[in-house]
Amino acid sequence: MSKDVADQKREAYLRVRNVTKKFGSFTALRDISLDVYEGEFVCFLGPSGCGKTTLLRAIAGLDIQTHGSVFQGGRDISGLPASERDFGIVFQSYALFPNLTVNENVGYGLVNIRSSKAEIAAKVAELLELVGLPEQGDKYPSQLSGGQQQRVALARALAMSPGLLLLDEPLSALDAKVRVHLRHEMKELQRRLGVTTVMVTHDQEEALTMADRIVVMKDGVIEQVGTPEEIYRNPASAFVAEFVGTMNFLNASKANDEQILLGENLLNLDEAERQKLNGSPILACVRPEDIQVRNIDDATENAFMTTVKDLEFLGSFCRATLCYGDEGSNINADFSINLVRDRNIIPGAKIRVAIPANSLHIFPADTAK
Amino acid sequence: MTDQGFSVTPPVVKARLSRDDWVMRAFIVGIGLWLVVTLLLPLYAMLSKSVQSKDGTFTGLANYIEYFSTPALFNSINNSFFIAITSTIITISLASVFAFVLARSSIPFKGFFKGAALLPLLAPSLLPGISFVYLFGRQGVLKDLLGDASIYGPIGIIMGEVFYTFPHALMILIAAFSIADARLYEAAQVLRTGRIRTFFTVTLPGIKYGLISAIFVVFTLVITDFGIPKVIGGQYNVLATDIYKQVIGQQNFEMGAVVSVVLLIPAVVAFAVDRFVQRKQVAMLTARAVPYEPKPHFWLDSVFFIYCVVISAMIIGIIGMAGYASFVTFWPYNLELSLNNYNFDVMDGGGWASFYNSLKMATYTAIFGTIIIFTGAYMVEKAKGFKAIRGVIQFLCMIPMAVPGMVLGLAYIFFFNHPDNPLGFIYGTMPILVIVTIAHFYTVSHLTSMTALKQMDPEFETVSASLKVPFFRTFLKVTVPVCLPAILDISIYLFVNAMTTVSAVIFLYSTDTSLASIAALNMDDAGDVAPAAAMCMVIVATSATVRLIHALLSRGLQLKTQAWRKR
Repeated sequence: MSKDVADQKREAYLRVRNVTKKFGSFTALRDISLDVYEGEFVCFLGPSGCGKTTLLRAIAGLDIQTHGSVFQGGRDISGLPASERDFGIVFQSYALFPNLTVNENVGYGLVNIRSSKAEIAAKVAELLELVGLPEQGDKYPSQLSGGQQQRVALARALAMSPGLLLLDEPLSALDAKVRVHLRHEMKELQRRLGVTTVMVTHDQEEALTMADRIVVMKDGVIEQVGTPEEIYRNPASAFVAEFVGTMNFLNASKANDEQILLGENLLNLDEAERQKLNGSPILACVRPEDIQVRNIDDATENAFMTTVKDLEFLGSFCRATLCYGDEGSNINADFSINLVRDRNIIPGAKIRVAIPANSLHIFPADTAK
Repeated sequence: MTDQGFSVTPPVVKARLSRDDWVMRAFIVGIGLWLVVTLLLPLYAMLSKSVQSKDGTFTGLANYIEYFSTPALFNSINNSFFIAITSTIITISLASVFAFVLARSSIPFKGFFKGAALLPLLAPSLLPGISFVYLFGRQGVLKDLLGDASIYGPIGIIMGEVFYTFPHALMILIAAFSIADARLYEAAQVLRTGRIRTFFTVTLPGIKYGLISAIFVVFTLVITDFGIPKVIGGQYNVLATDIYKQVIGQQNFEMGAVVSVVLLIPAVVAFAVDRFVQRKQVAMLTARAVPYEPKPHFWLDSVFFIYCVVISAMIIGIIGMAGYASFVTFWPYNLELSLNNYNFDVMDGGGWASFYNSLKMATYTAIFGTIIIFTGAYMVEKAKGFKAIRGVIQFLCMIPMAVPGMVLGLAYIFFFNHPDNPLGFIYGTMPILVIVTIAHFYTVSHLTSMTALKQMDPEFETVSASLKVPFFRTFLKVTVPVCLPAILDISIYLFVNAMTTVSAVIFLYSTDTSLASIAALNMDDAGDVAPAAAMCMVIVATSATVRLIHALLSRGLQLKTQAWRKR
């Protein structure tokens, strides 16, 4: 198992143990184990086909896993049908009942457990207030915008006060601006209610902004579990490094037990990275925004000369292509507009840059992408 | 994580079924049994009958050998194919142009022309036969047009079949022409392609699948049709009338079964090709295209307009002739109009009672058929697990399309009239007529249901489960209301077909349960052609009225639900 959160004292609310899911001869999930703690917001992140939705559907009891078990709140729910589990779910397609009003949609499950109409009406009004749609209850879903429909779906999912909220790509069908707005609101709402939440997404920005912890998946296995910061700062594999954020992948080789050779430059490694050194070719990774230009002197660690080959204007910043050696030895660096102006960075200019050792990661070359 | 160290296979998780799962499976088993009993077992009974002698011993292919060594019998194969191929060529040619005009030109009154062209759907297939007797028969008003040729025989059959199959071909072809992508035509224009080359390089490939599908649908309809050759075929035998003659005329059930199997083969082949082609057509539809907007073109449009007028006039004329003849007191000697021919009670065939039977039968078929078929389709589409059984049911649902009505009716005799069959008590009753009609028209209704159900969000059931709401509540509160237009379509389709069908029920009615279409056939058989025409007109009027009510209902429904229905 990959490194887990240190918090072992608490009993996890949702425990997934050695879950494998096979569709015929295809293995969609391979021996997945995972803990989700009470009140936590966890994102399953990965490219399409990585198994994240399959894992969510196993947790919901929609496609029950082939092997392994799932516990929720201490109860073994491994083989239970969806109707006997305790969750609310929101889909990318909203799945609102088109012929029912917003009120009827939100109150759909309440009719079964509550007797009085007034009670249902009050609860529905409260839920719609909660998702920011008061007084929209008499409309039909088709009269609402996509973002509003997804809020209704959220209210419906929360109506039964479920122990677990499952979100299956809830924002993917929305416009970019609505998406940014709604992800903020959903996260806020989740924090306020404290409901344990699992969201599936392929959008790394969504995962980074909303999740307490991210589970990065690839080909049916978990690549890394960690906070957004950990995932971004210390990717556990070349895949995670590439999938989350932008990353330079540079061919390098081992120089000695503490240093690598990038072109003709010796670069120091952090203590943790040194452990990964062996004889094989190496991929050195650094994020474009971590490349340092200011305050470089002879004492600065990992500094070297580069030539600006190209400069791409991206609005709030510029992405420079820097050459540190032969043709093809290029590295991308993000510079603020101010910096570009102050240092007169133009194509052809020679500048000295540095890669701080704590921003430099290495992976075996054969694991690339 | 990646190390596969363990050698012991972990236990497979056993999924516990919810109550919903059990209920759904019970329904699926129920619908499966229904199809087995009303379709599969009768067909099996028929197949086995064809390899038995009269006393019920197995004789292998002896009956078939007898069939193929009797020229009077196997000549019908040639006749059937000749009729089917000729009719198909004529129908498809006429309908293609008509469909092209409706979909791709800017002539006025398109709605009227389309309505006129679809009129034959409301009539039993014997109506054109009767009408042609009055138009081209020995005392026909247009007899001279035929010269020395007789309408009784291949000419009459082919003309009748063209009338009867025209709307079926037209609907498929209009759909094919309507999915044209305007961008392709713009591209052709920009590349300075001539009209004719555009037709062959853009238009024709676009409707290819629709055209093939229409050809096979028409071919199947013609080769399995019984009403027209019965009324106007004279001495010209085809397979469908042979079955009738063997069974009703000579009580030779075994030979009837053999002819049925022979008729089944081309129908099954045509059906298989059609299904294969339709799958491709669907793939074409999914691509979002810019709809083609026809531009006015004076000369072409004038020619098209005249063409539509002529075709519509012919269709209306044929129905009108039957209608007129039904009011004429005594053709051709006393042309005074009267309602004498509608006095069915003084004639053989069952009288007005048979019409009320038809109404009852059509109503039951529409109600029970719609409930059974739609619910069945829902269970098959939405249930989880049970894959093999669901697959088998899907397959069974497709069979009726390939089974000619005559064959199904005969199969019912063998199965339900068998002394050992515990279900034998329904033989000769109203229920067996309803059941055979539901079975006969199952496929189209099932496909309509499936299309509607597939447009529903597949997660509705999941959401319901997570909200602890049993599936049947969602089925009644959401699925049925949302699918109501499709459900209405199915019920009207079943009603009109039950009203007009002859083939499947001809072997199964009893004196108490005679039907209007059968009464018409029997009156025609007995020489009462005018009353037969009158009965056909009653059927047409009923179908038309019900269609009208359906249109009004759909319209009202659309207005009522337009708040949420924005498709």
